[in-house]
Amino acid sequence: MKGLKSCFVKSFSHIYVEEGIEENPLTKEILKKFPKALKVRIKHYKDVFCRPRQNFFVQESSRKLILAAKKGELLYRGPDICHDFGNENFYYTSPALNCIYSCDYCYLKGMHPSANLVIFVNVEDYFKEVEDILKQKPLYLCISYDTDLLAIEGIIALSAMWIEFARGKEDLKLEIRTKSANYSAISYLVPASNVILAWTLSPTEVIKKYEKNTPPLELRLKNIIRAIGDGWKVRLCFDPVLYFENWETAYENLISRTFSMIPADKVNDASIGVFRIPRDYLKRMRKNFPPSEIIHYPYIETGGVYTYDEEVKGKIIEKLWSLLKKHIPEDKIFIL
Amino acid sequence: MFYIVTAYHAEAKPIIEYFGLKKVVKNSRFQVFAGEEVALVESGPGVVASACATSFLLAEFEATDRDAVLNIGIAGAKNINLKKGDAILCHKIIYHDTKRAFYPDMIARHDMKEGVLETFDFPVIKGNFPEDRIEGDAVDMEGAGFFEAASFFLPPHKVHCIKVIHDYLEGVRVEPSFVSDLIRKNLPLIEGFMSSLESIDYLFSVGLSGKEKEIIDKLAGNLKLTFTMTHQLKNLILFYLSKHERLPGELYDFLNVRVNSKSEGKIYFERIKKLLC
Repeated sequence: MKGLKSCFVKSFSHIYVEEGIEENPLTKEILKKFPKALKVRIKHYKDVFCRPRQNFFVQESSRKLILAAKKGELLYRGPDICHDFGNENFYYTSPALNCIYSCDYCYLKGMHPSANLVIFVNVEDYFKEVEDILKQKPLYLCISYDTDLLAIEGIIALSAMWIEFARGKEDLKLEIRTKSANYSAISYLVPASNVILAWTLSPTEVIKKYEKNTPPLELRLKNIIRAIGDGWKVRLCFDPVLYFENWETAYENLISRTFSMIPADKVNDASIGVFRIPRDYLKRMRKNFPPSEIIHYPYIETGGVYTYDEEVKGKIIEKLWSLLKKHIPEDKIFIL
Repeated sequence: MFYIVTAYHAEAKPIIEYFGLKKVVKNSRFQVFAGEEVALVESGPGVVASACATSFLLAEFEATDRDAVLNIGIAGAKNINLKKGDAILCHKIIYHDTKRAFYPDMIARHDMKEGVLETFDFPVIKGNFPEDRIEGDAVDMEGAGFFEAASFFLPPHKVHCIKVIHDYLEGVRVEPSFVSDLIRKNLPLIEGFMSSLESIDYLFSVGLSGKEKEIIDKLAGNLKLTFTMTHQLKNLILFYLSKHERLPGELYDFLNVRVNSKSEGKIYFERIKKLLC
């Protein structure tokens, strides 16, 4: 039997480029970074991304890159299962689809038909849509939900572009969520007061077992220290919180380690989110992925969303709340 | 299982010999040859014939997601950088007539060249057809039909076109023994690719084993479980297997239980739930 690596073509061996964006400067910049990749011309990104019967699980071992221009609606209303952190006009947008990490619990595995990474290069169109909305109302916008934007900053500096775009726009508040240890990619920027860098933090046990390819906790914390030190607003996201053997000890260790390194008074706010996932996404994940403690846990369904039963959920929230409030004022902790 | 579709016998012959396939004696419109791991069908020329033969083969042998299918044959090259005898693994297949394009998942490692295949409904001969209207690096008369039909059955990383360059669209006569030679010389490369596909399938097979499925079926029948409960049982077994190497011995005790009513079955189901959680 051949080893894993020897039977797979390398990730990003092929780059699919949508017709009409060949001359876009971002397309050119990305293609320059992959000189050995085969370029394949496509009419529409969905011709590749949305093919029937794709195997997400297999594709994760040899992801391809798809460059496209997003048409139609570019900003979406924030869903109820996500935190709005007390903000009105909560929207999210997807400058990219999919992520270079592979977390067992990630809803993207059930949401998208493909594991390939799509980057939309028409960033100016996104900016225009934001500006149009800002003419009517203020906006709280999350730009790194269906991807990890900072993790792919080496491929394309979208986080930096968004930060520069947001700078000085008082009615716009931006959240960039990440698990990466790639702060250095944007550390040259002057902090923007309306941009929040949000790090997802998980116990080391969870990172090792369920968050494949993500940086270890220590590295994430070191990145947070640097970002805070430089003057950025930083959000800590304990989301999703998972229920597993010895979960209480794992989260106790996580919180104590976090605040032994990070000055709590410098943290902008924090969130607690018990694992939850739309029914259809979980159904698809159960069908397409091998047995997993996370995917196959017997969750309870309420209103089309699977999560732990009330008893487990209550225990998790109570525990995390009591741990967090020792370090962060209660009005800065958001629970979902 | 690997399924192979060729247009002509001259393309099939070296494959039949290489894998030791035997003719399947059955009253059918298509010639079929099969061995333990490989089955081949000769479609005859053209998009529709290729689509029909592909569907026939995959349906007849009850292909599943664990199988793969290849279209192997000769093609003419527009791209002069491709040499005669080169095997091309196609990463894009265009049907010239509709301009519809198909994209196999290029995941499995291989040592062939890659290119774009364009499928025509007629033989393309330089001079008779404007070269600037050919988008593909290579040209054939089956690939798009094969791909569209195969995509109904298998995932895109298990459907591939491999074309061996035969000519430069000069309209030369096709000599069967030359065609067989071209294919034969590339079979080690093709087999290497098949081996990568097989390894990926082995490493990434998902779901329950036959034995586990049997246990679920038996429990569902004996305990009169509803459809939803059976589904929950399957999920609980997968949950248990994510933490343990094998199912608990106590579960097998339930196989001997037969209930008279659904409510009795429900009681046993709750016990199984506790055991597996």
